[in-house]
Parts: sequence; C-alpha cells; structure tokens
Amino acid sequence: MPEIQELSPDAGPVSTRPPEDEIDDDEDEDLDETMMERLWGLTEMFPDTVRTAAEVSAQCSVSLAKQFYSFSRAALWVGTTSFMILVLPVVFETERLQLEQQQLQQQRQILLGPNTGMSGGMPGMMPPAPGKM
Amino acid sequence: MGSVLAAASPSPASAAAGGSPGVPGLGSVPPGFAMPSVSSVPAASDQQTADADAPLLNPGTYEECHRKCKEVFPQQMEGVRLVVNKGLSNHFQVSHTVTLSTLGDSGYRFGSTYVGTKQTGPAESFPVMVGDMDNTGSLNAQIIHQLTSAVRSKIAIQTQQHKFVNWQCDLEWRGENFTSAVTLGNPDVLVGSGIVVGHYLQSITPALALGGELVYHKRPGEEGAVTSLLGRYTGDNFIATLTLGGAGGHATYYHKATDQLQVGVEFEANTRMQETTASFGYQLDVPKANLLFKGTVDSNWVVGATLEKKLLPLPLTLALGAFLNHRKNKFQCGFGVTIG
Repeated sequence: MPEIQELSPDAGPVSTRPPEDEIDDDEDEDLDETMMERLWGLTEMFPDTVRTAAEVSAQCSVSLAKQFYSFSRAALWVGTTSFMILVLPVVFETERLQLEQQQLQQQRQILLGPNTGMSGGMPGMMPPAPGKM
Repeated sequence: MGSVLAAASPSPASAAAGGSPGVPGLGSVPPGFAMPSVSSVPAASDQQTADADAPLLNPGTYEECHRKCKEVFPQQMEGVRLVVNKGLSNHFQVSHTVTLSTLGDSGYRFGSTYVGTKQTGPAESFPVMVGDMDNTGSLNAQIIHQLTSAVRSKIAIQTQQHKFVNWQCDLEWRGENFTSAVTLGNPDVLVGSGIVVGHYLQSITPALALGGELVYHKRPGEEGAVTSLLGRYTGDNFIATLTLGGAGGHATYYHKATDQLQVGVEFEANTRMQETTASFGYQLDVPKANLLFKGTVDSNWVVGATLEKKLLPLPLTLALGAFLNHRKNKFQCGFGVTIG
C-alpha cells in the first residue's frame, strides 16, 4: 500500500498542477506582450515571400493613395480656377442674353397673345378666300 | 434680259462687298477700292490697292504676318485704366488716359492723332502723326507718310523723360507682288552704332508668301547680324505662318471657326533662353450681347482671359482682365473703362 505522505502545514506551496497546464501558465504570466505583438506574431506563420509581397503592396497602395489625394486636390483647384476665368463670364453673358430675349418674347406674346388666341378660337373666320375659291 | 443683268452684276457687287481674304483675281475690282487685306486694320495701316488683273497680290508687310494670330490672345491687365477718346474733327483726335497701378507707377498720358488730307484709299489718309506724352515727360511720337504711291516712310521717336531711348526711320516699298522695307534704328554717327533691319516678303502663289529678315547691329567694338526666314500660307479660313531664324523659331496658326469664334495656336522656341512655349488662344465675339471675350491657355501653366463689354446706350466700354499663373501661384487682374 503506497504511503500517503502527509504534509505538514509549514511545507509551503507545492506545485500540484498537471504538466500540460504549464504551457498555459507561462503564456498567462507573460503580460509584457501586447495585443498588437501577439497579432503580429501570427503573421510569422506565412512564408517570407508572402510577407514581403504584402508589405510592399501595402506601402505602395498607401503612397499611391497619398499621391492621388494631393493630385486630386491640385487638379480640382486648377480646374475650378481655370473654368472660372475661361468659361464662366461667357456663360453668364450668354445666359443673360437668353433671358433678355425670352423676356422680349414674353412681352411680345403678351402684346399679341390675345389676338392669336382669338384667331385660333374662331377657325371659321380664317379661311374665307379658299372657301370662296 | 433680266437674266443677263443678273449674270453681269454679281462680280463687281461681290468685289465691292469686300470679298474674302486670300482670294485674289476676283476679276474686275474697280480702281479706288481697296481689297481688304488678310490682317486687321488700324487707322493708318496696311491696306493696299489690289492690282486688278495680276494673279499675285501684294502680300502685306513682314510684321503683319503673325499679327492676326496675336490679336486673338488677350493682353494682361493690371490696375485700373480710364481712357477718354475724343474726336475733335475729321482729322484730329485726342485721348486722355489715367492709369492707376499696384505694381508700377500710376500716371496720366495725353495722346493725339492727326490724319492729313492726302487720301490714298477709302480708309487711309496721309500724313499720319501720332504722339503721346506721359505725366513724367516721356514722349512717343510717330510720323507716317506716303511719299509716292508705292513708298511709305515712318519716323518714330521714344523718350524716357528727357533722354532719347529710341529713334528710328523706316522706308517701305510695296511692289506688285512683294513688299520690302528698310529700317534704320538708333543710328548714332558720333559713337558709331546703329541697327539696320531689312525685310522682304514675296508672294509666290496666291496663298503662299515667303520672306526674309536681316538684322545688322553695330556697336563700337562689336558687330553682328541675324537672319530669319518667314513663310505664310493662307487658306480659306486659316493662316499658318512660320518664322525660322538664328534667334529661334516661331509658328502661328490662326483659324476662323465660325463668325463668332476665332482660334489661334502659337508655338515659340527661343534659342537664347533655351525655352519653348506653346499657347492656345480663342476669341469669342457676340455682337448681340455686345461682348468680346478672349481667353488663353499656356504651356507655362498660365490661364488668362479678357472680357470687353459695350455698355450701350452710353459710349462706354468696360474691359475686365484676369491672369492666373498656376505654377507660381500668382494672380493679376485689372479693369478699364473707355469712354468714346
């Protein structure tokens, strides 16, 4: 019969946990590693070529996005100011001319409108000559 | 009978109506009618009486060849300008100009034009004396006179306050189908310096004109000459001109797209400063809206436009101009009012 050793209360802490918990134990105790480092560590599972390719493409796309942003800003400014100087005055003036002509036309319609309305309303009066012919 | 008269009349009628530029040999142009030349017409300049039966017409002057395209481009305006033009009689005209400027000096300029009594054409009379004087005393004066039916002379003087800056004498001979001119600039017999410029322009075909220029300058200790060649081709609604010389090349193309729209393209290469410039300009003329709009885009990233509007019924013309240099991020604008 194996002897069960009785420990005295003064023996101090004894490690009684099973061996497979030791690995988890080490991980939980290592609080210096941040979340980002742990995620970064996950990338180490990919081969080197994939990692460098991903890094290069990420850097390229970031710099491309920055260049595109600054280019679109400059292009928008140049486009707007050039349009303002080259095209806008002509557009204003031609619109004004059109409005003036429309106004004149409306005035003419107001003057002559009722007459045309009347002749339209009484078609029988209009073609007497062909009728006579 | 009616058909015979109708067939006979169009030819002088169309000639008198002013024909189209660059179409010679319209047949019977009655003497005393000046065939409108291809380039534009300020008061005392270059309209000539066309020789009715010659197949080749006088090609105009050497300086005019690029002018039609240059006029499409807007001028850079800065500050405020007020111009009052007053015609005192048929022969005499006076102008007052007040210029207020942010970059340069503001000043007043008085100008006068006298047109003489010897009439050589429907729009030309000689002698013509043009002068203007600044409030600081700078004088610009020109006297143009038609010595014989083919020879015209011009004397021009420019001073900066009391000092003479430019004085030149010019002699131009218009032949049947060629023009030659000699200009003597700043001749100084005491120092032994001066500039002599010779121009020659010949019509090869009714559409093509070729010419050359020779500039000879002399200073005590050095002398030099520069030559350049010019070719001008006139089509139905376009004019293409090319100048090639020691100082570089200059090509212009003028195109009249519609009655309202005229377009000009200019390319200039300078060998001294090793730079080339290409510019595109357009002129939009809307007489119904009393509007004249000129715009330009440049290869130096310069965008500019000028708008001129007649404020009828008063004899006022308002001119607004704006020029923007994108590369240097500089902007310049100005406006002017012309009365009369």
